[in-house]
Amino acid sequence: MIAWLRSGFSTRRSRQGLWGVPLVIAVAMVLAQSLGTGQFATRENLFNLVAQAMPLLIAAIGQLFVILVGGLDLSVGSVISFSTAILSLDGPSVVLVPAVFVLAALVGGINGLVITRMGVHPIIATLAMQYILLGITRILRPTSGGKVPDIVIAAVQGSVLGIPLPVIWGLAVIGLAAKVLYGSRFGLHLFGIGGGVAAGMEDAARNHGIRVQRNVILAYVACSLFAALAGVFLAGRIVSGDPNVGLLFELDSITAAAIGGTQLSGGVGSLHGTVLGAIVLALLANGMNLANVSPFVQTAIKGGLLLAIVGLQSRKKMGL
Amino acid sequence: MTHPALRRLAAVPPAYYVFVLLLLVLWIARPNMLNPNVMGIFIRQVVPLGILVLGQLLVMRVRSIDLSGGGVILLINYIITSRSFPEASGPAFVAMALGIGGAVGLLNGYMVARRRVSAVIVTLAVSIILVGLVQFLSSGKPPGDVPKYMNQIFDLKWGPVPLPVLFWLGCTACMWLMMQRSVYGRFVEAVGESTEAAAFSGVPVERTVIAAHVLAGLIAAVAALVQTGSIAVGSVRVGLDLPILAVAATILGGVVFGRGEGGVWGPFFGVLSFALLFVVMTVFGIDDAGRLIAQGLIILMAAILYGARARRG
Repeated sequence: MIAWLRSGFSTRRSRQGLWGVPLVIAVAMVLAQSLGTGQFATRENLFNLVAQAMPLLIAAIGQLFVILVGGLDLSVGSVISFSTAILSLDGPSVVLVPAVFVLAALVGGINGLVITRMGVHPIIATLAMQYILLGITRILRPTSGGKVPDIVIAAVQGSVLGIPLPVIWGLAVIGLAAKVLYGSRFGLHLFGIGGGVAAGMEDAARNHGIRVQRNVILAYVACSLFAALAGVFLAGRIVSGDPNVGLLFELDSITAAAIGGTQLSGGVGSLHGTVLGAIVLALLANGMNLANVSPFVQTAIKGGLLLAIVGLQSRKKMGL
Repeated sequence: MTHPALRRLAAVPPAYYVFVLLLLVLWIARPNMLNPNVMGIFIRQVVPLGILVLGQLLVMRVRSIDLSGGGVILLINYIITSRSFPEASGPAFVAMALGIGGAVGLLNGYMVARRRVSAVIVTLAVSIILVGLVQFLSSGKPPGDVPKYMNQIFDLKWGPVPLPVLFWLGCTACMWLMMQRSVYGRFVEAVGESTEAAAFSGVPVERTVIAAHVLAGLIAAVAALVQTGSIAVGSVRVGLDLPILAVAATILGGVVFGRGEGGVWGPFFGVLSFALLFVVMTVFGIDDAGRLIAQGLIILMAAILYGARARRG
């Protein structure tokens, strides 16, 4: 246990990245906020915090999948807006809800295919997808409005035995991601592929019999599916479709993963680190809201935090 | 694609094809718009983008990227229009702008080359910080008027050609000369081809990358000055989409992370293509949504064409 905790602070040995830093920041922020204001440690504020953090948490977990293989998905925000737009269309929920996930899988599949089969850089491919999908979203829903199916609202805003459903959903998503990343061949292969890419040996995984292209495509599909889930969750919270709701989510999800010790060159990162990263961002927003810090300053501080934390993680590769 | 002539055709950056195609569309649909006066005004609008692209192509040649231009443009625009420095003269503003651009570029370069942080993350984070700072200082409200003389300089013409367009041509020519003739241009090319090979050959890789980022910062400052001259009233949203468009124009011009077949003039025509695209969109009454889709498809197509060629080569 001690050795494992120590590995979170060393970039040399760990394949999980510097996740100890966000842990310390998170604990310090919880302590400071509960001592500073009486409002923090209330049950209501904590549950609120979970509900607020959930979309980012889900999107960041999706982002982790593609970052692990040395990629990046800038279309996450557009997928989120797109999902809320689809959900707010006229139609029965039995059609709309599955449609969101099928379309998201399609988007992820196209991203993955363009990147692996056509040799396009992930940043460029997903940037193009971000534009295209945002355009389609604005055609479907030019301004926010419409009505999200009741079942989605109930699934996000309800509670069971006094525990709000977002808490249960959050645990379920983390459990699912843990199973895929650490309990499946696919997850192991993701680490293998990314490790090779980060070390400058792109063929390493293939030489060990891993189907690189198929796994990378699946990673992008997984990322889009998680983004769609985040979109469904947001739609349930705001009750309508909004073409701008996903704005900057691609950035925040990358920030959360990076704060959690995930290295953008691939192969190094962890689920618990990413979850901690999302929690740090949520705590930061919550604390600054309680302290009445201007939202503009909050953005600047978020940027500064990102810069400071990635500055701590040295790597071999230079550039992107 | 075995015939040499065909291969030569496929090596032409997509920007030239897109440019000719859009010119044809415009010529068929609205031939009366193709006169120097109308085109001059449209091309003048993309000059800030065109200047920003010069920095972008430099950092993309050394396998980096700079997305902080939006923040730099916003900050410089705010400083000039907010009257925070009421006594400052034109040259003082220029010096201040270059100082900001150079400092941001140096920070980017240090983080990317020395600290080895992902360039996407660094430059985005810097941009977020600058945008947050400006919006806080201005409380989200438009700051104030642009000094009159800046607008007047922007409106000057030399014959039918607007002065900003000439200035852009001049800057592009300087960049072309630097890439072609100077030792530094060779260094950039070497680092782009292969970082390891360049390092083993004695190229100061880290310094080359840092210098590229500093230059990109300075160029962003120049773009900010031109952008400020093009508007009458300051804004807290000006220039935010320029870095992404600059990346798109650079790719369209045939310069992709490390590979630079497009040279300096490929991206130049990439910017001109975007100018024409905006004209064509306006002519056909295509709204914002259609514009986003078209931009995305153009970036994607250009990148796919290039990716396909890279694998064959």
